[in-house]
This record gives sequence, structure tokens and C-alpha cells, in this order.
Amino acid sequence: MPRSLSFTEAIRESTLQCMEADARVFVIGLGCSYPNGADGTTQGLGTLFPERVIDTPVSEAALTGAGVGAAISGMRPIVVHGRVEFALLAIDQIVTQAANWNYMFGGGNPVPITIRIAVGRQWGNGPQHTQALYGLFGSVPGLKVVIASSPRVAKGLLASAVTDGNPVVFLEPRWLYATREDVPPEPYRQDLSRAVVVREGSDVTLVTYGDGVVEGHRAARRLQERGIGVEIVDLVSLHPVDHGTIAASVRKTGRLLTFDTTHGSFCIGSEIIAKVAQHAFDALRAAPVSISCPDVPVPTSTALTEAFYPTRVDIVERVLALVGAPPIAREALSFEELHLAPKYDFSAHG
Amino acid sequence: MSVSRLAPIERSARAALPRADLLRGYQTMLLIREMEQQLVAYYLQHKVFSFVHFSIGQEAVAAGVCNALQPRDAAMGNHRSHGHYLAKGGDPFRMVAEMLGRRSGCCGGKGGSMHMVDRSVNFLGSTPILGSIVPIATGAALAAKLRKLDAVTAVFFGDGASEEGVVYESVNFAAKFALPVLYVLENNLYAVKTKLLDRRSPDHDPERVFTGLGARYVRADGNDYVDVHTKTAAALVDVRRGAPTVVECVTFRHMAHSAPLLDDAAGYRDVDPPDERLRQDAVRNLRAVLARDPESEREIAALEAAIAEQCRDAIERASREPYPDPASLLRDVHA
Repeated sequence: MPRSLSFTEAIRESTLQCMEADARVFVIGLGCSYPNGADGTTQGLGTLFPERVIDTPVSEAALTGAGVGAAISGMRPIVVHGRVEFALLAIDQIVTQAANWNYMFGGGNPVPITIRIAVGRQWGNGPQHTQALYGLFGSVPGLKVVIASSPRVAKGLLASAVTDGNPVVFLEPRWLYATREDVPPEPYRQDLSRAVVVREGSDVTLVTYGDGVVEGHRAARRLQERGIGVEIVDLVSLHPVDHGTIAASVRKTGRLLTFDTTHGSFCIGSEIIAKVAQHAFDALRAAPVSISCPDVPVPTSTALTEAFYPTRVDIVERVLALVGAPPIAREALSFEELHLAPKYDFSAHG
Repeated sequence: MSVSRLAPIERSARAALPRADLLRGYQTMLLIREMEQQLVAYYLQHKVFSFVHFSIGQEAVAAGVCNALQPRDAAMGNHRSHGHYLAKGGDPFRMVAEMLGRRSGCCGGKGGSMHMVDRSVNFLGSTPILGSIVPIATGAALAAKLRKLDAVTAVFFGDGASEEGVVYESVNFAAKFALPVLYVLENNLYAVKTKLLDRRSPDHDPERVFTGLGARYVRADGNDYVDVHTKTAAALVDVRRGAPTVVECVTFRHMAHSAPLLDDAAGYRDVDPPDERLRQDAVRNLRAVLARDPESEREIAALEAAIAEQCRDAIERASREPYPDPASLLRDVHA
């Protein structure tokens, strides 16, 4: 029977099950042996597998490169980067080495490495702790890039990443760490390359991913009260993007809205809109709409982050305009809703 | 040598190696040199359509180290790795085919001269971004330790790469976890055309740096096969037991950084003019040792003829190979 797990508990359970199933799997990263191990995601694993939970020197390039080297030598490492800014210290290993490796050596040289990277907003941690950089990873051939939107998705995607046989960048929105969902206890996998329609609707297609999905659900319920059906496509994969699922939804609704919790230029939404314009232009009844953050570094003060991050209120407003419905009074969100990570329960809301 | 207060090198005695080992060393070095020399013309005719970083002059490092490794041991390299690949036993034909961009190249034409790989002999790959291969080799050694395999990983990188931070991260990592990795610091004195002393303090002391990190450090004469081979073989005993070791081999690169041309006219070389390179040339000097026995001239000549023919054959066969199918462009992005 599924039980309610948090996002971090789901990652931990998936890691544990991967380690139990395959002795080649090991975890390597800063702080992964701590009692609360990498925000709880590796908690207790070092006690169960002392040789396979490797807490390392503060050397991101070396530990990531060691993961690449172990992966080409018969192991299946899970590299953990607690923030994307630290992963950037290892960008040569991720982008130039791991991503290119199999191709540049003519095939037959797999790099079965999973690179977990925590990304995105978190209370007041500003320009060097809360960047998202989705487009950066999404633009690299050779990487599979996935982002989980809920605990259930996180567990399945991580198991798929570890067993995949290729470099998989597993992006974890910190904003979702406290969200909960009923998660099956047994191991299972989720397709690394398929987007999922997580809510059906007939009027507008909302394409989003990661922490955008929660906002999408909230906005969609509000719009449903007005009789407007929002279909939510959870991208799941940022590389490759499942353009087929998006196009099918747009052909059904005729309207497209993308929602990114990162900068608007070169964001994932831009890529979606470009491809829909090329391949499903005839299905569009209105110009696509992109909601994203302004092109400035991520600020720190709540007064500024409030202006920086779009919310469900923005989605509601833009969807109403998109379908030609009259505007409604802009809902005021509480401080908690705006600035604290949601304790959203996906199972409670269906 | 006054380049950077390089400490004097105490050389191993040539008598320390049996004649069969010397002959094997000469054979390995000559294969590297002969192959590169025969390839010069192909570069000049643009048939090798990329950078080539020739290791002529540095053969003693590749040969001395790889001949001390076991077949089960791994080796990895950098942008200048034709020699490392051949010394580890990599297929010469597939190397040339790769340099010529042919389908049967070791990377199917997707890598080129800077990407050598032959997993059948545990040459796990070479990558040209300076220092990038060092943590990867460290991870290969980590895998060997986790899998409880008796296998060492040797990694070749240059003095330029040794200025990248990830090298020090990696050596610290290997020392902390007692990994079976041999770091071969191939010091050819120049990063492209920049001298050591233009890149570091006169007080720079790699021995203190690496031993300070908890690794072992040995300095070898990279222009002397016997010295490199003897010191590497000795170091490997402890490397296998988990004592990561840096072997710094000071050597001369005869050609320009990335083209098979002599570039003395560029004026940057201060201690290795042509006559000095010739005087200290590892291939020539080891041949002289072997030829002291007048009976052996015929044996050496036969070996040389065989290697020249081996290289000609590899190049001629590779030249006749088809180019990759354009459809292969889209293949192997993922395993």
C-alpha cells in the first residue's frame, strides 16, 4: 500500500532500493554521510552500506570526475551536488566529459552516472544558492536531464536514472522537498523521456515542470471554478523534450501557456513555444504565453523575491486573458505562500 | 638544467634492466616515433584534418610507464596520447584510421587525434581539456578499489595540466582514499610556448606539493627509458597497495605544440635546442646501448624494418578505409 512520503524521503527510498538491488550503485558527495544526509536524502545509508556512501573532500570537480571514472569502470555512481552552484565547479566533467564520452569514443563507452543537483528557490538564499539554470543543462546533447515534480515522480525517475546506462542529470527543486505524496513502497521506474499530462482540461495547455507543477495545480483549480479547463503537461524531461505530448495537448486545447520559475531568456518555455510554433502552429488559436522570472540575478530580500517569482496568481491572470474571459480581482497571497516552501500534499488534492 | 630549479635527477643504472626488457623498450618507443614520423606527410597534406600533438622526443615516458603496467591495469591520457595508446597496446591501424577520420577508427571518426581509446587493452580514453582526465582516472582507481580488483590506473598529463586545480583535488582525493593510481606528470617544459618559469615561482616545488598532499613523489629522467621504467616499476609495488604516486618525468618535446613541425625559430626554447634534444634522445640512446654488442646490429635492424613496415601497413590500410556513414552522425549520443 502506498504511504505518504516527502520528496526527500522518496529520494532516499529510491536510492536505498537501487543500492540493495545492485552492488555497483554507490553515493558520492559532500555531506552524504551526515546524520541528516544531504537534506535527509541519504540518511542512514552510510550505516547500511559503509563502503558505498562516500563523503568526500570539498572538491566538486574531482568527486564528479571520480564518478565519471568509476562509471566507465563498472560502477553506477550517484553523485550528489547540494546546490547547482557547486555543480558548476564540475561543469567540465558534466558537460565536456560525461555528456560527450560515449559519442566521442564512437559508442560502446557508456557512462552510467546519475548526477543529482538541487536547484531553485529556497527562503532568502539569493544569487549564489538558488539559481535554476534549467536551460543550461537542457542544451547539452549527451545528457539526459530530468526534473521531478512530486515525491512519486522523484522515486521513479531516480530509479530509472540509476539503471539507465547514460549520464542523467537529476534536478531536484528544493522548493518541493517538504511536499508529500502517497508513494508505492516497492521499486518502480518512470520513463526518463516522456512528459506526463497530470491534469486534463480542454481550454488551455499549461506546460511546466518541477516546482511549477504545484503552482499549476493550484491555478487550475481556481480556474475550474470559473469553468475554464487547464490541461497541465509536466515535462519531466528537459532533454530530450517530449514535443509529441505537448503538441497533442495543444491540438486539443488550441492554447499554450508555459510556466518557468527561472529567467525568461533561453528558458525551457522558450524552447517549447518555438517547437510548437514550428510544428503545431495551425493548432494555435492565440499567441502562446510565457510566464517566467525577469532577466536579473536571483535576489534575496523577500520584497524582491516576491517580485521575482511568478505564482499561481500570474497563471490565473494570463489564462483568463488567453481565453478572453474577464479579469478577476488579483488574489493576495500570504507571506507563507509566497516565501515558504510548500507542504503541499499531492495525494490530498488528487 | 636551469629551467626552473628542476632538482637534479638521480638516474637508474642501465644495467638494472635485462637485455630483453631494453629491447622491448626500444621496440615500443620506436613504434611511437616511426608512426608519428610517417604521419607527418599526411598532416602536411591535410589528410589528418585536425590538431596533432606529436610526442616525438617523449617516447620514453609512455613506453617506460606502460611497459611496467600489467595488461589488467588501465591507462588514460590527454591531447598528446598517440604514444600512451600505442605503448599500452592500442591497435595502430585503428589509431591511424581515427586520425584520418575513417569509419574503422578507434572512435568511428568522432574523436580524432585527441581522443584515443582501446578498451580491449584497458586504454580507457584520452581527453584534451587540460587536467580533465586526472579525476576520471582517479575514479577508475576508486572503482577498482570498490570492486576489489588488483588493477592500477595510470594517467598521463602534462606540466601545463599540472597547473589546473582539479589535479590537486584529485591527488588529495586519491591520498585520502588510498587509491591505486599512478599520476604521470609528463613535464616537457612548455605549455604551448610558455616556459615553466613564466608560469610559476622559481621556488615552485612539485615534490613538496604532492608529498604535502599525502601522495608519493618520484622524479625521473623522461628522456631515459631505463630511468622511467625502473622507477615506475618500483613505484607500482606501493601504488597497488593503495599509495597513490606522482612520477614526474622531465622530457623534451621535439616538435611544436600541436603540429608536426620543428619550431625552434619561434625562439621560446631555452634549454632544449636541437643539438641538446638529439644528445638526450631516448630512442637514439637506447639504440646505442643495445648496439654495443656488435652481434646485435642485425637484430636491431630487423626490428626497425619490421616496425617501419608495421606503420606503413597500418597507414596504407587506414587510408583505404571508407569514411563514416553520414547517418552515424546521429548515433551513439546515448549508450
